[in-house]
Amino acid sequence: MQANTSTTKKTESSVNDAFASHFAKSMFLSIVGLLILTFIGTRMFTHVDLNLYGYMVGTIVFIGGFFYRFIAWGERPPTKLFIKKGLKLLFRKSTPKTAVNHLAIFDFIRNRGVYRWVQHILIGWGCVLACLVTFPLVFSWMYFTMEDNGYYTIVLFGMNIMNVKADGIIAWLSYNALNIAAIMVTAGVCMALYRRLKNMQARAEQKFIYDFLPLYLLLFISITGLLLTVQNVFLHGWMQPQMSLIHQFSVIVTLIYLPFGKLAHIPFRPVSVFARNYREHYGEQHMKECKVCGDQFVSVEQSNDVIQVLGVNEIDFNMNDGFNLAELCLPCRRKYRIAKFSGFATHQVKVKEANQNANG
Amino acid sequence: MKKRLYLELENCIGCRSCLAACTQCGGHEERNRNYVYDVNPLVNRQTMPLMCLHCVNPACARSCPAQAIQIHETGAVLSALVEKCIGCQNCTIACPYGIPKFDTEQNLMYKCDLCIDRSKDGIPPMCASVCPTNTLQWLTDEEIEAKQKQFNLDNGKWVTSMPYLEGETNVKVNLPGILQGVTKLF
Repeated sequence: MQANTSTTKKTESSVNDAFASHFAKSMFLSIVGLLILTFIGTRMFTHVDLNLYGYMVGTIVFIGGFFYRFIAWGERPPTKLFIKKGLKLLFRKSTPKTAVNHLAIFDFIRNRGVYRWVQHILIGWGCVLACLVTFPLVFSWMYFTMEDNGYYTIVLFGMNIMNVKADGIIAWLSYNALNIAAIMVTAGVCMALYRRLKNMQARAEQKFIYDFLPLYLLLFISITGLLLTVQNVFLHGWMQPQMSLIHQFSVIVTLIYLPFGKLAHIPFRPVSVFARNYREHYGEQHMKECKVCGDQFVSVEQSNDVIQVLGVNEIDFNMNDGFNLAELCLPCRRKYRIAKFSGFATHQVKVKEANQNANG
Repeated sequence: MKKRLYLELENCIGCRSCLAACTQCGGHEERNRNYVYDVNPLVNRQTMPLMCLHCVNPACARSCPAQAIQIHETGAVLSALVEKCIGCQNCTIACPYGIPKFDTEQNLMYKCDLCIDRSKDGIPPMCASVCPTNTLQWLTDEEIEAKQKQFNLDNGKWVTSMPYLEGETNVKVNLPGILQGVTKLF
């Protein structure tokens, strides 16, 4: 019996030992996953669109960069806690609603301004639509065959999904999905650029590399993509092969850049759903009361987590007079600091803090 | 020439110009990020401002799971990057001074960034540029040292940042009068 468990343990650890690092393991598994999906999707590699192989290589480089960045990020103590606890709380009742709010309709951005919300919807959903079309095509998870004259068969993961009329509405939408996405992204990027050029607040803070470069890259992709259509439809394919290379270049550069710049917020954003779940769940369980005024200001769990995270960084806030700052609510913490400066115990005076907003 | 925000707390007359000025800084979206407190509200009118002190080892940034709080090369601890902040409020819980504010509607933390668009070019932050009583000043390290000499009481009681704060900060705080029971001479 004992020998049995020890052998299973051994085999378990040896699987992990096969990989040099977390990164190597994630990389290996995703590429094997991609290969398997492609194997199924292409009916055993019989329908590979080699015209798109550049995107394939680009995607694999992107996955490498993504794991490098994401694993480094996930190893930070606070991030690790949120990811671990967020995964545990993933199946809360409110998760679908929060996820739709945070990841699909961006309610919080609407509260930052309708203009910014519209531009974000256009860019965000334009990019999602484009990715949903591009990647299945690149890995040949989706392709079209024509068995009957005038009818296309849409093949998804090797299964014939439907027959559509070659000049029908669904076919039209399929041919033009990338054009529609490009128009959405172009409109959104133009709105964003206009805001960045005109809005004084944006102008005060923005940097070329961080704020403009991603916009220009998206614009570069959209314009070259649209030009491909223009060349096909109006110019009889003049310079089309060259333009398709330029377009491919623009996409690959953006993919490689994505995990490292402003666009990195796309793969990181789901953690905001984790954070909301975490606050809601532990907030319902047990709230921490301020040691001075008794107000409930944060969940005990979060307070302990923050104390632990700060401990990792060798920061702790034990005061000489027996307080720990983590035990005070925020207004009391500020008053306590005033007390430290003045020598008079402001936080012990039972008066609500004066209005701290300059709007009167 | 690198300048720092320097606070002489006892000069404060509670006019709250710093709060009003803060709202007007580019990027602050007309909301102030600093505080003014009554020291002993039921007894006298002494007030003191409370700003982000821009810790050298900031607890808010250390506790941020999203790396949304960045530290500028000038030492300023910046407000949360709007696209990265995930709204967990760890920073508000971590800050020993209770400085970061949180907007639940926008799911976004905001805090003093020393008006980085100004201070990165050596222009004083809004609060320091409007303070009528020199409570908030924008000084070089030499000038701060001169202040220290000016208030040196030969009793080791130069009261500034360290023993009264939780760690080294980029903003220097000084209150020579109140703690030492002496009246300050201008």
